[in-house]
Amino acid sequence: MLKVENLDKTFHTGAGDVHAVQNVTFNANDGEVVAIIGASGSGKSTLLSLLGLLDAPDRGSIEIDGNQLANLDAAGRTKYRSTQVGFVFQQFNLIPNLSAKENVKLALEFAHWPKEDREARAEAMLEMVGLDAGKADRRPAKLSGGEQQRVAIARAFAAQPQLILADEPTGSLDKSTGQKIISLLREAASQQKATVLVVTHDEKISQQADRRLEIEDGVLKEIA
Amino acid sequence: MNAVRRGIRNAFRNAMRSVGVVVILAVAIALSISMLIARDAVTTKIDTVRASTGNTITVSPKGFFGFQGGGTPLTTTQINGLLNLSNVTAVQESLSEQLKSTQTSLTSPTPVGQLGQQFGGFGGSSSSTGSLGSGSSATTTAFSIPIRVIGTNSPGNAVEGGANGGGTEKLTSGSAFSPTSKADVAIVGGTLATKNTLKVGSTFSAWGTKITVVGIFNAGSTFTDSNVLMPLATVQKLASATNQVTSATVVVNNINNVAGVDKAITKKLGSVADVTSTQATVEAQLAPLNSVKTISTYTLVGSVIGAAIILLLSMLMIVRERRREVGVLKALGAPNRSIITQFISESTTFTIMGAIVGFIAGIAVSSPITSALVSASGGSASSASTSGFVRHLGGSGGFTGGSSGFTPPTGATPGAGAFRFGGLHNTVTQLHTSAGWSTLGFAFIAAIVIAALGSTVAAATIVRIRPAEVLRSE
Ligand SMILES: Nc1ncnc2c1ncn2[C@@H]1O[C@H](COP(=O)(O)OP(=O)(O)OP(=O)(O)O)[C@@H](O)[C@H]1O
Ligand SMILES: [Mg+2]
Repeated sequence: MLKVENLDKTFHTGAGDVHAVQNVTFNANDGEVVAIIGASGSGKSTLLSLLGLLDAPDRGSIEIDGNQLANLDAAGRTKYRSTQVGFVFQQFNLIPNLSAKENVKLALEFAHWPKEDREARAEAMLEMVGLDAGKADRRPAKLSGGEQQRVAIARAFAAQPQLILADEPTGSLDKSTGQKIISLLREAASQQKATVLVVTHDEKISQQADRRLEIEDGVLKEIA
Repeated sequence: MNAVRRGIRNAFRNAMRSVGVVVILAVAIALSISMLIARDAVTTKIDTVRASTGNTITVSPKGFFGFQGGGTPLTTTQINGLLNLSNVTAVQESLSEQLKSTQTSLTSPTPVGQLGQQFGGFGGSSSSTGSLGSGSSATTTAFSIPIRVIGTNSPGNAVEGGANGGGTEKLTSGSAFSPTSKADVAIVGGTLATKNTLKVGSTFSAWGTKITVVGIFNAGSTFTDSNVLMPLATVQKLASATNQVTSATVVVNNINNVAGVDKAITKKLGSVADVTSTQATVEAQLAPLNSVKTISTYTLVGSVIGAAIILLLSMLMIVRERRREVGVLKALGAPNRSIITQFISESTTFTIMGAIVGFIAGIAVSSPITSALVSASGGSASSASTSGFVRHLGGSGGFTGGSSGFTPPTGATPGAGAFRFGGLHNTVTQLHTSAGWSTLGFAFIAAIVIAALGSTVAAATIVRIRPAEVLRSE
């Protein structure tokens, strides 16, 4: 259960202040897929970076299962990122000189999973996202975009996080591959009982979500 | 896979760049290693030269020229006073006299030759200058060169330095007289002994007195081996030179005190004596070697700093290039510590590879570089450049490059993996043995320092990368 209240983030730039996230309040349940839509520059990525504790909010609270996260120290934020949250990026962002399986195991290493369980867990995750077993030892450059994004999803879910933050996960893929990735996210969310926030430009993609939120100039509102 | 292993793997990620970085590091490390070896060789040479000549001061009468004499002799009283100076451990005194053929039963082994002919003719035509000639019975054939007698209170190291003493002679038979002896005894040079068929126990006459031979010495030169050594007091008495000394060698307790004692002697004896420390002359000769030492020290430090800067810039470049990747690692929950460890491991891998290649190359080029430096600086220390580096790997292989190359090990040696210098002198060899290990130690420490420096800036950059950057499209 994710509870966000009165989240604010302002960037002070040479050209003046940018209120990227203003007074954002919303809830999301476990296993729920929530789409966040909005124009370019409306604050979608900034909101995700606050929720993923990649950046600190100026004000507001973020609660996961009753734990307050907004005022954790650096070590606490690192621990949260490794265990409670998984990221899926538009550019996949796999580590290029590690194989698919090693990329998944990396997330398990940072989450301090027991060493002896990592191999099996990584293989299970790759199987869940539907990557051919024969491709587990390939490096990202030898995988298609869709396959890379599957590996990224396996990596994001590997350490059993409560929250998955996906920023334009289909933005670099063709339509049908994008659809497959979204259904994969939906399945994984219900199977792993994680909350999934998907930022997207794509109407069709957003319609597959359980709920839709729209952000405009940093202000978030629910779309009925 | 932990951060260290990821770092090592990353070091081979871009083969071209890795080779470039390793080669540049290797060149810098090779340079510093060869400078270190050059420095060691030169330092050893300087120390050897200093140790062999350093701690004595020669005192002779003003205007005195070797065995030719001249000047007013100094007195035993004056010289003995020098013992009271601080840091003086001993004073060796000697009195150099000439035994004319009329004053002795001995015959000089030195052939008269042309020199004798001239002097003989000279002596014969004017008997008033008879010191060189044969006196009243002046005929060319009867002429004989006078024999040099050195009265000394330090038999054992009296002859080699000529009238100034300070040398060493080896007794080939018999024994030396005591430093304070007043007896009518002598140790004669081997050449003179052969010429006059003298043995230990033989006698000869000098200044009308019967002298007993107690020993025969050999100093390795026909000239010195034609001399006679007698107790100082005996020569002073027989040659009517009571209390006279023609030369003294002051032994100083430590090389570093020579200059001070030199001043003190000059002050004490004033203008009657010439005071020369061998050290002053030696220092002048060593000046070029000292400048080689300085150059090599600066080059050594410079190349280590250079290597550190190269690695630092390379790591900075690599971190910048992988900025996004660092952001991803942070987003995945990697602590800064782990990411920094990964990069340090990468830079250490470069450094170790550079150090290995550089160490081998450095040893290979050290001898030519040392010779080049020493000869370019006009130094006379040729032996410093002959110290080839002998590397025992316990196997076959290796190559010989004359005095300046590797000497191949002849099969497996017990000290496998040990480094040893083969030099001309035993002492040099020994000194260089430890230099080999300290060089290796230096390479290791330098490598660590370089890696640490190179990683620090990279680490600072890593800490500053904001993980939120990964969400920004490039
Ligand atoms: N680090 C930053 N410094 C200054 N301004 C920033 C920073 N990050 C974001 N902004 C500004 O905040 C606003 C929101 O940016 P954000 O990246 O969240 O938009 P977005 O909705 O993700 O856009 P897009 O759909 O193009 O990805 C923009 O005006 C952006 O310029
Ligand atoms: Mg964005």
